[in-house]
Amino acid sequence: MSKSLLPQLPTGPAEPTERAPTDWTTVAMQKRIRRRYARERRFRFFGLAAVTLSAAFLAFLLITMVANGWRGFTRTDVALPIDFPASGIVVERAQLATRGADLALAGAGLENMVKSAAATAFGPGGEEVLSEHAWLRVRDAIKADPSILDRKITIDLPASTEIDQALGGKGTAAAEAAAAKLQQAGVLSRRFNADFLHESDSTDPVAVGIWGALKGSLLTMAVTFLIAFPVGVLSAIYLEEYAPKNRWTDLIEVSINNLAAVPSIIFGLLGLAVFLGSWSLFGYQFGPLLPRSAALVGGLTLALMIMPVIVIASRNAIKAVPPSIRDAALGIGASPIQVVFHHVLPLAMPGILTGTIIGMARALGETAPLLLIGMRAFIVTPPGGFTDPATVLPVQIFLWSDEVSRGFIEKTSAAIIVLLVFLLAMNGLAIYLRNKFETRW
Amino acid sequence: MNAFALLFLVAGLGLIGWLTARARANRFDRGGARRLHSLPGQHGMYVAMWTVLPALLFVAVWSAVSPGLVKEAVLQHPAAAQLPQFDFERDALLAEARRVANEDGAAAFDPVAQQLAAPTRDAQARYRWMGTAAAILLAFAGAAFALTRVRASFKARSRVERGTMLLLLVASLIAILTTLGIFLSLLWESLRFFQQVPITDFLFGTHWSPQVIDAGDPGKSLGAVPLFWGTFFIGAIIAMIVAIPFGLMSAIYLTQYAAPSVRKWMKPILEMLAGVPTVVYGYFAALTVAPAVRDLAVSLGYTYASSESALAAGLVMGVMIIPFVSSMADDSIAAVPTAMRDGSLAMGATTSETISRVLIPAALPGVVAGVLLAVSRAIGETMIVVMAASGAANITLNPFESATTVTKQIVDLLTGESEFDSPKTLAAFALGLTLFVITLLLNIVALRVVKKYREAYE
Repeated sequence: MSKSLLPQLPTGPAEPTERAPTDWTTVAMQKRIRRRYARERRFRFFGLAAVTLSAAFLAFLLITMVANGWRGFTRTDVALPIDFPASGIVVERAQLATRGADLALAGAGLENMVKSAAATAFGPGGEEVLSEHAWLRVRDAIKADPSILDRKITIDLPASTEIDQALGGKGTAAAEAAAAKLQQAGVLSRRFNADFLHESDSTDPVAVGIWGALKGSLLTMAVTFLIAFPVGVLSAIYLEEYAPKNRWTDLIEVSINNLAAVPSIIFGLLGLAVFLGSWSLFGYQFGPLLPRSAALVGGLTLALMIMPVIVIASRNAIKAVPPSIRDAALGIGASPIQVVFHHVLPLAMPGILTGTIIGMARALGETAPLLLIGMRAFIVTPPGGFTDPATVLPVQIFLWSDEVSRGFIEKTSAAIIVLLVFLLAMNGLAIYLRNKFETRW
Repeated sequence: MNAFALLFLVAGLGLIGWLTARARANRFDRGGARRLHSLPGQHGMYVAMWTVLPALLFVAVWSAVSPGLVKEAVLQHPAAAQLPQFDFERDALLAEARRVANEDGAAAFDPVAQQLAAPTRDAQARYRWMGTAAAILLAFAGAAFALTRVRASFKARSRVERGTMLLLLVASLIAILTTLGIFLSLLWESLRFFQQVPITDFLFGTHWSPQVIDAGDPGKSLGAVPLFWGTFFIGAIIAMIVAIPFGLMSAIYLTQYAAPSVRKWMKPILEMLAGVPTVVYGYFAALTVAPAVRDLAVSLGYTYASSESALAAGLVMGVMIIPFVSSMADDSIAAVPTAMRDGSLAMGATTSETISRVLIPAALPGVVAGVLLAVSRAIGETMIVVMAASGAANITLNPFESATTVTKQIVDLLTGESEFDSPKTLAAFALGLTLFVITLLLNIVALRVVKKYREAYE
């Protein structure tokens, strides 16, 4: 505060002012005070309401997701009696141990056999009770234990979406009736659906899983980290420790600050135009540089997006290292590079890692740029490498949310729960790192 | 995978170079009475740098140049004489031949492309082989050159440090390159768009229906005013009506009233609102909020209420922005000198009077800047509007009607199956350029306001 703002003190003897002190006991004054205090309470209440309502909205969102999603982790099984010897299914036992087992069993008419077994067990139309993929489970059971081919067994098979939904109270009238009949027969059971965690996308909501999308996310995040982390940290070091103050470094600063605020969808357009578009250079026509909808392209795009976040966080962490450390290292003869890489960087690392994890969490939840570069294909097999067609968890959520079948609602919410758990874990790790390594100099 | 193998090979050579140089430098140390200028590890780094960097640089240049060389080689093939002379068609056929050459079991529709597949594969293999050999040769040459220089008196450390400095500079230039890349790629595609559609039609036209584009006058159905209005209506009006009071009042309550323990818990909880992925908000908006808003509209007497109303998207977007406004307001209130607050309280004002007559007016520039940043974030937000808003471009003031936004249209235009050069896809880039320029301006103004305001109190 500058001096001129200080009140002017009277210099000479003050003129006595003729003014009666305020009488606070009069009715008018009391009323005025009451009014002011009421306004104070009202204001305070509004503040409290704003905080509470915001938190309530978050709680409402999470509760809705969990309420919709918990059923997505379970499935309804139907106990189906199958009489293998009577079914007339012929398979070479020797083949079951080989790689051709799947083909042999499919060729032997297993799918139709399961359908007719369902029809005998539950009456005409009984195959509607089972999921289209139910016979695959029978196939796996036979492969695991070929001896069941000689007996009559009862096996738990996934129920169809209609039955599953009817049990949740969201099915059609016909399905509700069928489900009630099955329930009375005591063949229905609900259990944890482990397939949801290691299957991939499918057209049938009962058979979908998130492993393909999760693996795509992991590959994409790996590319993002490998590019954004070194580049971000190195440029933060340069800007904070070595950069001379001139027009060029100002330009770098301005572009980093602005990049941090560019909408994510713009990065999708960049990825589309640069990595996937075709352009010519020196008269040579270049096709798409990278395969479409690959984890590599997605990772590169997201890396450009979160790099400014990492740069800004790293600069703050480096700035927080006190100059005395640098002076001491320089004083005993370290070179400027050694000062930074041996002393400043290790001390700033916890802060840098915290910022990086927060940036990675943002990249993990990002959808829009990946939609634009084409990571929205229907992908049934998990990607095997960085250049295979892949999708990621948020995009998978988006794709499922577009599906008409009601069964997808709970699967979408279940996938959201998985995504939120990952994000929560990452943010928790960031907070833990910050608290554990935070140094007060 | 070949590229990865090459990278690993070069990295391995670098490691070998490092070990060799270090071992040599160690021998110097033991043998002679003269002291080394640099540590053995620094000699190692010097050799490793010379091994890896030239080879990697060459690989980068080669992968940019070799597609052109492959094309030249394929054009020499006799079958290439049948290719159409016209550039665009010829490139399409060559691209098809490339696809057949690289994918197992792919077949070409065009017989010429099918014929050219084999020569393309040969040429690719040849140039890839040449590139690999040259890269490895360069790695060896670099290593040999550097190893001959490893002497006791050699100043390896300063060389390595100069190299490191260069690396740091290059890393920080990537930010500029990205900005330039964004700007140039958007500008380039937009210029192509404006060659087909007059810029005035795009900026001032009030009719948007990209599904039916009249080839004779594409500008007639590509007027973006309804999109600009929808974006402004959802992002800057409805969302802000939610976010500003909630964000501001939360910030005031948490900084001025709440007990430290409450603040410690509530602040991270509010920040969690910003950490929820936008696709989750979008799903929530479409699944829960939009039907509720429609029911509300029906009960208010709108019989044909849309289930993709502007209000549903705007409300959810506003909630998403709350923590953003709140933390900006928090910062600017905290920056007001305590003396002003204490002075007001000492004069007998209540806390709320102090806040609304002293703190908020003093913090107003910061709050306004925060709101500008929040608006820029809201109009760039994509997933909520993609999932909850409609594609129908209306100019309306009724929040229960549907409105569409720039980001929603970009996604719609680019995710359909259409050619890359049609006015439809190019329009997406023009919209992107508009969005980029507007958010950039908002940010520059906001940052300038914040900076000026901060100086006022320092």
